[in-house]
Amino acid sequence: MDLPAGIRNFSYATDMAIFRTKTHWALLLVLLVILFTAPLYWGNYWLGVANLIGITMIAAIGLNILLGYCGQLSIGHAGFIAVGAYTAAVLTNRLELPFLVGLISAGFTAGLIGLIFGIPSVRVKGFYLAITTIAAQFIIIWVINHWSSVTGGFTGISVPLASIGGFVFKSEASQFYLIMSIAVICTFFAKNLARTRVGRAFVAIRDNDLAAQVMGINLFRYKLLAFFIGCFLAGIAGSLLAHWIGFMNAEQFSLTESILYIGMIIIGGLGTTIGPILGVVFIRLLQQVLTVQVVPFLESTVALPAGFASGVTPMLFGLVIVLFLVLEPRGLAHRWALFKSAYRLWPFSY
Amino acid sequence: MDELLQFVITGITVGMIYALIALGFVLVWKSSGVANLALGQLVLISSWFTYGMLVQAGLPLWLGFPLVVLFALALGWIIERFVLRPLIAQPILSLITVTLGLAYFIEGVVTFIWPWSVDALPRLFPREPLHIGTAVVSQEYLWAAAISLVLFGLLSLYFKYNKMGIAMRATADDQMAVQACGIPVTKIFSRSWMFACVLAAVGGILMSSIGGITFGLVETGLKAFSVVILGGLNSFLGAIVAGPIIGLAENLGGGYLTPLTWPGVREVIPFIIIIIVMFLKPYGLFGEVRIERI
Repeated sequence: MDLPAGIRNFSYATDMAIFRTKTHWALLLVLLVILFTAPLYWGNYWLGVANLIGITMIAAIGLNILLGYCGQLSIGHAGFIAVGAYTAAVLTNRLELPFLVGLISAGFTAGLIGLIFGIPSVRVKGFYLAITTIAAQFIIIWVINHWSSVTGGFTGISVPLASIGGFVFKSEASQFYLIMSIAVICTFFAKNLARTRVGRAFVAIRDNDLAAQVMGINLFRYKLLAFFIGCFLAGIAGSLLAHWIGFMNAEQFSLTESILYIGMIIIGGLGTTIGPILGVVFIRLLQQVLTVQVVPFLESTVALPAGFASGVTPMLFGLVIVLFLVLEPRGLAHRWALFKSAYRLWPFSY
Repeated sequence: MDELLQFVITGITVGMIYALIALGFVLVWKSSGVANLALGQLVLISSWFTYGMLVQAGLPLWLGFPLVVLFALALGWIIERFVLRPLIAQPILSLITVTLGLAYFIEGVVTFIWPWSVDALPRLFPREPLHIGTAVVSQEYLWAAAISLVLFGLLSLYFKYNKMGIAMRATADDQMAVQACGIPVTKIFSRSWMFACVLAAVGGILMSSIGGITFGLVETGLKAFSVVILGGLNSFLGAIVAGPIIGLAENLGGGYLTPLTWPGVREVIPFIIIIIVMFLKPYGLFGEVRIERI
């Protein structure tokens, strides 16, 4: 928490404030203006990428609350996103309920399923929890694939476009506004959650759950709350994903996708607000650049082995995850903080 | 009745292979406290390597298998030396997630080198089925079980009599005391990873000689987790007992529950067992209950 030279806080409220100086407010305003005027000067392709990034960001913020703040490892995040996506798909397609009802119930359904699989977290942690959530992922995907009278099974299910009132989100640009507004709200929520009693309880549980319990934190309640919030956001992201893609198939929610979510959080930086944002942008952009630009370019210039296109992305992602854990376990957020404190103090070195 | 006998024999023998793979996990967990979530991918890549040696390079069996074992040893050494050693004394969360990154990487390597993703190993065991009582069992299963048993025997002899094996057991018991005795702990870690990779390779060869090489091998590795969870994370005996139980549950459940529920119920039974064990007895049948202090 370093401030620009010459600025001091004289009360607890100003010290805890998210935006502490006028520059902060100005920067926030500029960022929001740039974000929400982006559809004016971005093409449809980049808007699509931005939409995917926004949806992923919402899910990643959920996982960050669960894993980064509360320290509960979940390797089934893609499964919980699938629960949300299918709830929204079934409600809006088969029962023809409005989009907003689908969105909210997607969040709650995913949250409840998360609660069920989160119950063992009260007694076990670490590897045991990792395995429980992997099992959750497989069971969820199996149910989706085989309960075909409701979910459409292996053939999948189509999802209508999102609409509020009479307005239908048809173009990429209108969906961009929908997705980005929710993503901004979620970021704001996550940042504020970390400053409340609940957020501090999560951090205490992460650092030493036994000590937290001795201090009077109800482990059962707070761990399950973390699971609920994390999976609720996953459900919201799933619902947006369903309406954005328009067609759902359980193959979109594989175990590798779950691992990728954990990778994003780690690359971004665990337990920070900026972390998931940086990590998601990094991974999704890398994915886009690799599959759309680099691989076709290399394929047209050099003769490549047949598996190059499908193999290089997971190889690179795995490598990036391992390298970040070995070399920079605090993630990009830490680098960002270093950069911030450097330019604030410039030209003095300390 | 013969149907039942057949399910039981197949279940127990497949369970032995699961137990073999699970043993590799327990080995690493006991000695270094690292949860190896890349188990399935290790099984996958060593099966494909076997395919590369025996089919693509056309080597004879007596040369191919030692090469596979060498490959597994090298793989284990590399993983320990370059991925896990820099992370010694890091929180368990990093140790788990780093193996996830590793899993992702290995899967990429496999799709990179062998992009067609499904193939079969040459026939290693005689084909004609055996008749046990009224049941018909293909010989491959029995061979697989026999090889697993021999490996269990060899491993337990190693841990009982070999100096390094005894040192490994000691490390599992108390890392600090072992260090004070002058035993190189990092060497033990590296040894346990090498063993785990060899066990995964043998399990992979046995599995893929029965069912072919597919991405399903990753799930075989994941089923080994249910063996570990049921048996208890730090118990060799637990893995050996729980393996056949999981195999039995899978085959009996697949045989008798499929008409009652949806098809493919066989695939999720190990995962449902994990959830049940988590609710009832999270530390497994033979696992040590961890007592925590602040």
